[in-house]
Order: sequence, then structure tokens, then C-alpha cells
Amino acid sequence: MNAHVKIFLVGVLGVTLVLVALFVAVYGADSGAILRDVAGRTPLLLSGSADFSAFEGGFAANIVISLWAMALAAVAGTALGVGMISQSAVIRGPSVLVMNLLRNSPWLVVLYAMLYLLPFEVRIFGRFIEISPMIKATIGLALPVTANIAEVFRGGVESVPTGQWESARALGYRRLQILRRVVVPQAIPIMTPNLMTTYAMLFIGSSLVVVTGTHDVLSVARTVIASDGDHVATAVYLYILYLFFLFCFPIAILTRWLEQRVRVRK
Amino acid sequence: MTLDYAWLLDPLYQRWLLNGISTTVLLSLLGIVLMFVIGIIGAAFLHLNVRYLQTPTTIFVELFRNTPPLVQLFFLYFMLSDIGLTLTDPATGRSIPLFTGFTCVVLSLGLYNGAIAVEIIRSGLLAVPSQTVEGARALGYTRLQTFRHVELPIGLRLCIPPMASNIVSLIKTSSQAVLVAVADVMYGATQIMLETFRNLEVMLLIWVVYLVITGVAVLIVRRIAAAVRIPGYGS
Repeated sequence: MNAHVKIFLVGVLGVTLVLVALFVAVYGADSGAILRDVAGRTPLLLSGSADFSAFEGGFAANIVISLWAMALAAVAGTALGVGMISQSAVIRGPSVLVMNLLRNSPWLVVLYAMLYLLPFEVRIFGRFIEISPMIKATIGLALPVTANIAEVFRGGVESVPTGQWESARALGYRRLQILRRVVVPQAIPIMTPNLMTTYAMLFIGSSLVVVTGTHDVLSVARTVIASDGDHVATAVYLYILYLFFLFCFPIAILTRWLEQRVRVRK
Repeated sequence: MTLDYAWLLDPLYQRWLLNGISTTVLLSLLGIVLMFVIGIIGAAFLHLNVRYLQTPTTIFVELFRNTPPLVQLFFLYFMLSDIGLTLTDPATGRSIPLFTGFTCVVLSLGLYNGAIAVEIIRSGLLAVPSQTVEGARALGYTRLQTFRHVELPIGLRLCIPPMASNIVSLIKTSSQAVLVAVADVMYGATQIMLETFRNLEVMLLIWVVYLVITGVAVLIVRRIAAAVRIPGYGS
């Protein structure tokens, strides 16, 4: 853990210094005034409201969207992963195809496609349910990540020694039972770091939801720039860069630590 | 729901799409070159334990890996236009901005995927068998010569599979160019959507276009991998 703590401290301190240096290099003597202006916009950028009264926009929206998208993708990805290791070629072939298609499609294109593919509202039991941009963004982000999770699932299952399968078969378990009760529980420690990497990637990708018209941190940033003037643009984007870094870097370090622990135990 | 692709027969739209595809390919190729330059230099600094450069390299890698390429792109776009470097066109004498949207996209692709490439190449270098490295040292190669003639060639071959997915990710990320008004294939698509209102059809077509581009890229990487294979190293 010590080496990881060191990298963490070096990373956080170093990146803070680099970003501050960039900020001062761009703004020179105006740095103080600009910094005060942008700092005053903190509640708006973080929560989408001017005084932290609600958490429906800004960086909070990115976190909410990424969590929902991860949950959706985890369910769909596990199903796709089970399909990919199926013994029947009729299920395996299409599953592998879908996984490859989803994995190779650009997130931005999927997001745009979801924007137009999903209806404006759906009718369930006579009641109209509106599909908000946020829901579309969540589904659009979840689709490509489904492929990644399916790959992680397959990799994890394949890392469990085949002897486990054979002994469970000898005890009379059926295939899905073996997966659920024997193989997957052993694969979870191996899958966890990869899932965390996938989540970090998803969170980084959540910056793209700005194109769907959600009030995420980038669309709030655009509003701030439009009202405060173009000269704050660099400062605002530096700030957002720092926000994303502070959220993703601890996840990355934790992932590396877990990865090492799993490897040692093996 | 029926899909109407009649607009695809219009030569204007065909030209927009083809121009867009060539811009996307050009963006990706330049991005890949920059990615390899950054990746190899960064990995060399880390692997050779260059004093005073290791920590800056680590900070660079962590900064660009853990932030969205889109925010990096916007940041570069606004910061570099603030600095406002210009080139003088020798033919017309006009000054043109050095950092256009196109340059910024190439830079952001190179920086984000380059930071990932540093880690990929470094793990490739670590996977080179120590006996091979010791053999080179025993033959009288210096540390730098060993790196240049033994570790790097083998390490790069060993990291082909993760590098292939990094290249695919770079091509996919290049679609962000549309958000700083670079006329790539997404830009052509948005223009066509504005004129025809065939939003869904256009987006599905663009989806297929990207799948084809990335598919071709994967095929090319496989051919290269087969051509440069050294028996005994990698599969």
C-alpha cells in the first residue's frame, strides 16, 4: 500500500501544481480576480443550483448518470457475458457479435442515436411516461459499457480453473447452477479491479452527455461562460479537469492496489 | 418505423460524408502517430529510470488518463486560442491561427491515448524476458543500446493486443472533433440531419461507418502483427 500512497500523493500534488501553473501562465496578473469569479461558481458547477439547494445538475448529474448507467450495464453485461460463454453456438455467435459491435461503436454516436431512437415519451398502462434527456443519456452510456462488462465477465469466468467446473459437474450441478454457485463467486475478486476500471472509464465518458441536453457539468460550464464572458473559459475548463481528476484518480489508485492484492493471493 | 435512405443518393451529401470520412481518418492517423511518440518517450523515461523526468512523466500520465478527453479538448481549444499563436501563410501573407480546431483535436487525442500508451508500452517492456536483456548486456550493448535494439522492438511486439484496443478507442474518441466544429464525419452527419431531418437514419449510417473504420483498423493491426512476429515472443 505504501507505494500506492506515494504515487497518490505525488499525483494529487503534482497535478494541482501543474494546473495552477497553467492557470497563472494563461491569466498572469488577473489570476486572483478570475480565481475569485470561478470559485464563486462552485455551487453551480458542482450541483447545478446556485446554493447547493438541489443536486440535479452539474457534477452531481454526472455522478448520478454514471451510477445508473453502470447499474444498467452490469445487468445487461452479465446477461451478454453468460451468452458469450454459452455452449450453444446459436446463443454464443450473436452474443459475441453484439459485444464486438457495441465495443467498437463511438460513445458519441451511440448517444446521438439514442437521442433519436428512443421516443419522447412512452405509454405504459394508459399513463404517459416522459423519457427525459437524462434517461436517454443513461441508456446511451450504458450500451457501449455493456460490452466492456461482458468482456470482464467472460475473462473472470475463464480465469477460474476448469477443475472447478468438472468437480461441480460431478456433484450433479447444472451449468447455470455451477456458474452461479461455484464459478462466479470465485471470479468476483478477479473481476472487481476490471469493473472499477470500467466504471472510471464510464465516468470519464459521462462528460459526453452534454450533447443530449442534460444539465451535466459541461453544459453548466457553457452557461457560466456565456454569462461571465469568454475570458473565463480556460479557467472553467481547468476547474472541470481538476474535478474529474479528483474523482477518477483515487479510483485508479484503489484499482491498482486491489489488482496487486489479487495477484499476490494467487 | 420505416427507414428512408433516399437522401443518400444526393451527390452533395455523398461528398460531405466522404470528405468527413477522410478528415476522420486523417485525424486518427495523426493522433496515432502522436500517441506513439508520446507513449514511447514516456515509457522510455519511466523504464530507464531517468532522474528528474520520472516524476513529471508520472504526473503527466495520471493527469491525462484520469480526465475526459472532451474536457481536455475544450481546455486546449480555449487556452491555445487565448495564447493566439499564428503562422504567416507564405503564399498570401495572411496570418492563420496555429492552433485550429483540427490541431487541438489531434493534440487531445495524442495526449489522452498517449498517456494510456505509456502504461501499455511500459508493461510490454516489463514483459521482455530478463535473460534476453542480460544476454544483450553480456554482448557489450550499453543500457541505451539494449533499450533501442532489444527491449523496445520486443516490448512493442508484446503490447500489440492492448495497443490495438487503444487505437480503436482513439478512432472512436476522434468523433468529438464535431464539438469544436472540425468537419469530420460526425460534422457531415449533423449537417445532413439539419437539412433532411432524417436524424435516426443518418446516425445509424454513421454508426456503421465507424464500425467499418475501426474494423479495418483492427484488420491492419493484425496484418502488421503477423508481419513483424518474432517466433517465440507473443502469440
